Amino acid sequence: MNSLIQRFAGSSSGIELQKRNATVVDDDGELSDVMWGSMAGFGSLAKGVPTFTVPSVPDPAAFLRLHTDDHADPSCRIKIQHGTTTLAFRYQGGVIVAVDSRATAGNYIASGTVKKVIEINPYLLGTMAGGAADCQFWETYLGMHCRLHELRNHERISVSAASKYLSNLVYSYKGMGLSMGTMICGWDKTGPAIFYVDSDGTRLRGDLFSVGSGSTFAYGVLDQGYRWDLTDEEAQELGRRSIYAAGHRDAFSGNSCNLYHVKERGWEFIGNYDINKLHYDGPGNGQGYGYEVRVEGKTSAVAA
Amino acid sequence: MSSFNPYTQNGGTILAIAGADFSVVAGDTRQSEGYNIQTRYAPKVFRLTDRAVLAVNGFAADGNMFVKKVKQRLEWYRHAHAKDMPLRSIARLIQTMLYSRRFFPYYVYNILGGIEEDGSGAVYSFDPVGSYERETCRAAGPAQSLLQPFLDNQIYFKNQQPAPGMSHPTHLPLQAVLALVIDSFTSATERHIEVGDGLEMYIILGKGRGLQGLEGVKGVQELTISEDGERIFVVRRELKKD
Amino acid sequence: MEYNGGSVIAMVGKDCVAIASDLRFGNQALGIASNFQRIFPVTDRTYVGLAGLGTDVTTLRERFRYRVNMYTIKEERDIEPQTFAHLVSSTLYEHRFGPYFVEPVIAGLENTSSGSKPFIAAADLIGCLNFAKDFVVAGTASSKLYGLAEGLWEPDLGPEDLFETISQTLLNGVDRDAFSGWGAVVHVITKDRVVTRTLKGRMD
Repeated sequence: MNSLIQRFAGSSSGIELQKRNATVVDDDGELSDVMWGSMAGFGSLAKGVPTFTVPSVPDPAAFLRLHTDDHADPSCRIKIQHGTTTLAFRYQGGVIVAVDSRATAGNYIASGTVKKVIEINPYLLGTMAGGAADCQFWETYLGMHCRLHELRNHERISVSAASKYLSNLVYSYKGMGLSMGTMICGWDKTGPAIFYVDSDGTRLRGDLFSVGSGSTFAYGVLDQGYRWDLTDEEAQELGRRSIYAAGHRDAFSGNSCNLYHVKERGWEFIGNYDINKLHYDGPGNGQGYGYEVRVEGKTSAVAA
Repeated sequence: MSSFNPYTQNGGTILAIAGADFSVVAGDTRQSEGYNIQTRYAPKVFRLTDRAVLAVNGFAADGNMFVKKVKQRLEWYRHAHAKDMPLRSIARLIQTMLYSRRFFPYYVYNILGGIEEDGSGAVYSFDPVGSYERETCRAAGPAQSLLQPFLDNQIYFKNQQPAPGMSHPTHLPLQAVLALVIDSFTSATERHIEVGDGLEMYIILGKGRGLQGLEGVKGVQELTISEDGERIFVVRRELKKD
Repeated sequence: MEYNGGSVIAMVGKDCVAIASDLRFGNQALGIASNFQRIFPVTDRTYVGLAGLGTDVTTLRERFRYRVNMYTIKEERDIEPQTFAHLVSSTLYEHRFGPYFVEPVIAGLENTSSGSKPFIAAADLIGCLNFAKDFVVAGTASSKLYGLAEGLWEPDLGPEDLFETISQTLLNGVDRDAFSGWGAVVHVITKDRVVTRTLKGRMD
């Protein structure tokens, strides 16, 4: 009776993982010959699919949530770093991708130099929001598969196919506790394209997205400034200004803004802008973005 | 569900700083659980290859096992490829090893320090499930919030204006870095109960760099055998035991 | 305590004290104001800084003002910092089982027979006093401030050096805290005057 329940009830993805694991690990618990010779170094990828160790508890997802999810319990021990404000929009000149660079663990700012844009290959970019490890790992894995696609089909992979690959992959882990909210951006045969993919399995094509705890602040600036026929400078300025707004108001976003521009021939890194410098001095030859910097000396008081 | 709790916190703190052509990886040696000290000497910093040193902090059992597994994978690599794994590849390897336990994580905060293929000092820091970044300096462990801002101020010169016409140095010399590491740990020992007993610093020097910066440092012990190639030195100091 | 954010620090120097705080007032992740005052003068030579829940900071500021005024009227002299510290402690303990969510920091110069002696103290939310000889910290960035102060403080700093030390400690500490920052204010108290400076901090 118990074995029937074990096989057919319970979280299906957890059971899946345990079964997959069994193909790599032999009966005597040792890793098979894949560890030797030319396969050495491939580790858990040796059988073609990544295999994951799952605790032998009735509900692995609840176990993971208990120990790592700081939304449910802020005093949990394993603090996984979370990413925060990212945005991407497409316009006549391609795709602008702008992200902040702060990672927080609780209220401690763990790092101010996180790279939240993952360069999948020279013409595809992915952004990082949610769990940093999930985004980094799966987008690197996606890069591997995009290259395999190129080799097998003698043609670059479309943004639609790349994002679908990623979204199907995370869907197979749905319910297990992955946390990922990413935008796959590129320029393919259909023109510039952005797909929002998240760990719930959502996959949406769109013109404009912002993801993360500071996304509401970024949307405020993005929505009022967005047009299809922006010039390249205006588009870059819009991306920068939106990330500044989020970095200023949101406690979990800030430090610096990384700006990328995806053009027909591939992506280009525009620059890294310190958000504090943007507040006081602006992007270069402009005025500071900060409120009190812009209204200094002016007053609305009625003269006596 | 609540009865299976395989994790605990064993205290301690680790720190790594990258110089222009050297790296320093340090950790205290106290292992505690709650208010009890389990041992005054439990090393947290381990030599992987002649140019890579790994420091682990968090749950000591997971830390020690993880180091063992990393050393095993590096040994297999040596047999398969007849050379040591380069530092950035070790960093990527650690990511995949940590991520393979995404659903039953190693409760370890890793910091990898050493010399890159181009001879520059490098520090890579990891979160328990594998996200990583190359940095110049990083502290990890219960006292990280005490150490990291001090290092931001003294190594990156944050919130400090340079003298007019000058700019802050991008890399500090070895002597200054060692002094900062010792001061950081004595500060953390004062204000955090889980830090203390002893300090172990591993210094990895780039090829052909010579020993400048290490003269006058007491108790330097070399771990590498030959004088050509990268060299690793260990320096131990006492910390307050209360 | 982490709902509104904010941090305070006080340090002892040679014949001077300094007390400093950040200026952020937020609603968890949302930053609302960058001009929230949490350090208040009690007398010419004593200042109190209150870190914690914003509404309790404002309310306690008024309660202390009332009690100090009553003291001044009855005693016909200014309250000494150590006495004020005990006043803070008893006011907080009155609410032992329904406390104010603040961590007060007191800094001032005592009038002793041999001149002005620097004095700092801190309390927890129910009034336990901590009379430190070097520095005290409070607020969401307290652990970061401890590490920095321990590394940067040394005894017998003059007013200018003390200002530099406390400013670097506060600015670098709040830069590593998500709930503190958005500017800072520093008061350096010496026997003739109090110098107040507002610092340009990171606005993210």
